[in-house]
Amino acid sequence: MATAVNPSTSLGISIGSAVGSVAEWLRQITVRVIGSRDSQGSGVIWRAEGLIVTNAHVARSQEHEVELADGRRLRGWLVARDPKVDLAALAVGAAGLPAASVRSAQTLRTGEIVIAVGNPWDGIGAVSTGIAHHAVGKLPWLIADIRLAPGNSGGPLADAQGNVVGVNSMIVNGLGWAVTSDTVQSFLKKVRLTERV
Amino acid sequence: MPSSLVEFSNTIADAVERAGASVIAVLEGGREGVSGTLWRDGIAITAEHTIRGYDEVTVVLPSGAKSKATVAGRDPGTDVAVLKLAEKSGAAALADESRLRVGEIVLALGRRGTDGLATTYGIISAIGGPWRTWQGARVDRWLRLDLNPFTGFSGGPIVNASGEVLGMATSGPRHAVATIPVSTVNRVVDQLLQRGHITRGFLGIGVQPVALSDAIRQTLGISNDRGLLIATLAADSPAEKSGLLLGDILIAVDGTAVRGARSLQTVLDPENVGKAIGIDLVRGGKLSKINVTVGERPGR
Repeated sequence: MATAVNPSTSLGISIGSAVGSVAEWLRQITVRVIGSRDSQGSGVIWRAEGLIVTNAHVARSQEHEVELADGRRLRGWLVARDPKVDLAALAVGAAGLPAASVRSAQTLRTGEIVIAVGNPWDGIGAVSTGIAHHAVGKLPWLIADIRLAPGNSGGPLADAQGNVVGVNSMIVNGLGWAVTSDTVQSFLKKVRLTERV
Repeated sequence: MPSSLVEFSNTIADAVERAGASVIAVLEGGREGVSGTLWRDGIAITAEHTIRGYDEVTVVLPSGAKSKATVAGRDPGTDVAVLKLAEKSGAAALADESRLRVGEIVLALGRRGTDGLATTYGIISAIGGPWRTWQGARVDRWLRLDLNPFTGFSGGPIVNASGEVLGMATSGPRHAVATIPVSTVNRVVDQLLQRGHITRGFLGIGVQPVALSDAIRQTLGISNDRGLLIATLAADSPAEKSGLLLGDILIAVDGTAVRGARSLQTVLDPENVGKAIGIDLVRGGKLSKINVTVGERPGR
């Protein structure tokens, strides 16, 4: 039986357009991190004054090229790196950047929708959606039932409102693993300490 | 703000929470523990193949409490094992199977030890009719799911977006998820609770498919191009008692032409035990008909 769908009242279409607008916002805070050998990953603008968070396995050298959503290409200096939690922080010389709105991954309920934006080889700012696989608790990882690709590494994993809950890091048995936003926050606290010294 | 997406997100999280209240962990199952589903008050089910050799298992209830449960019965055919819990438990809300639709959102739920719930989501990609498992048991409905299996999901429920249970999840071929639907689980649970095992029909014959030549078919006026040659006949079996002989060639069972050894499976379904089944056969080059009363397969 065929049923006509009125686009203005279809929940499916309105969910689709909601995913689109969340993705549009996430693209603003997602950067492309280009390594010395043209390797490509993603990063999240964590603070408006030019602090980028990415994966340690993406940021392997002291200097990277960082491409913003508006096309600007900036030099990104490595200010911190911790392979144990697969995190790195880069500083770029820019201010007033659109920055992530961060939500604690520990508050995420199992089954909540999550959205990833990243730069796999075949799509800049590519979007994928999934759900939170488990409650994070004290774990440093947020596992999601979401389809990720290698270029998603370092990019944001966000909730249905676009609040960042993690930084995508790896794919294990078809599930996406992200470093939790809570882990990022405590990693960044340590960065400040070392900067003062 | 995109409220429809937030609503959708909450709907899924609510469904997980609701259904999660009837998902347990079975610590001995599989390599790293599997899941189970509270099916009736004080009764849970899990995936039989993951707890072979156990009469008692440790379960983690939705409350987080650990408890012992006894294995009250097992059916390797449908992969359903029934666990009796030491306490009252509540039970899962079951979905109306007749209302399943292709494209519906479904979730697989599992409980990992004391780590809590885990879930993946997908859709029903096709709905089919009855099918038989590799072990020969009849399952009432085939649900093809587009859904990621995950470690320890076996024995947990497949639920819809309202958190109602569509069936028990277990591992299917090619890393797919097989669902044993509610109606089949209910049938198996009833029998296991009543008798402790699943009755399977028994004839007591071993058969070998044989080709029937054109000449034989013309002479006898039958359309089969093959039959089943009785190659072994168990002593005192229903087949022997009814007069079947070694060398008889079965060509139709219960009025249906045989195609291969699998053609006998329907006759061996639990509900046929005790029933007389008509068998058409070729003996000494002539057609003959014999009634066999299906017996019960002796215990293993």
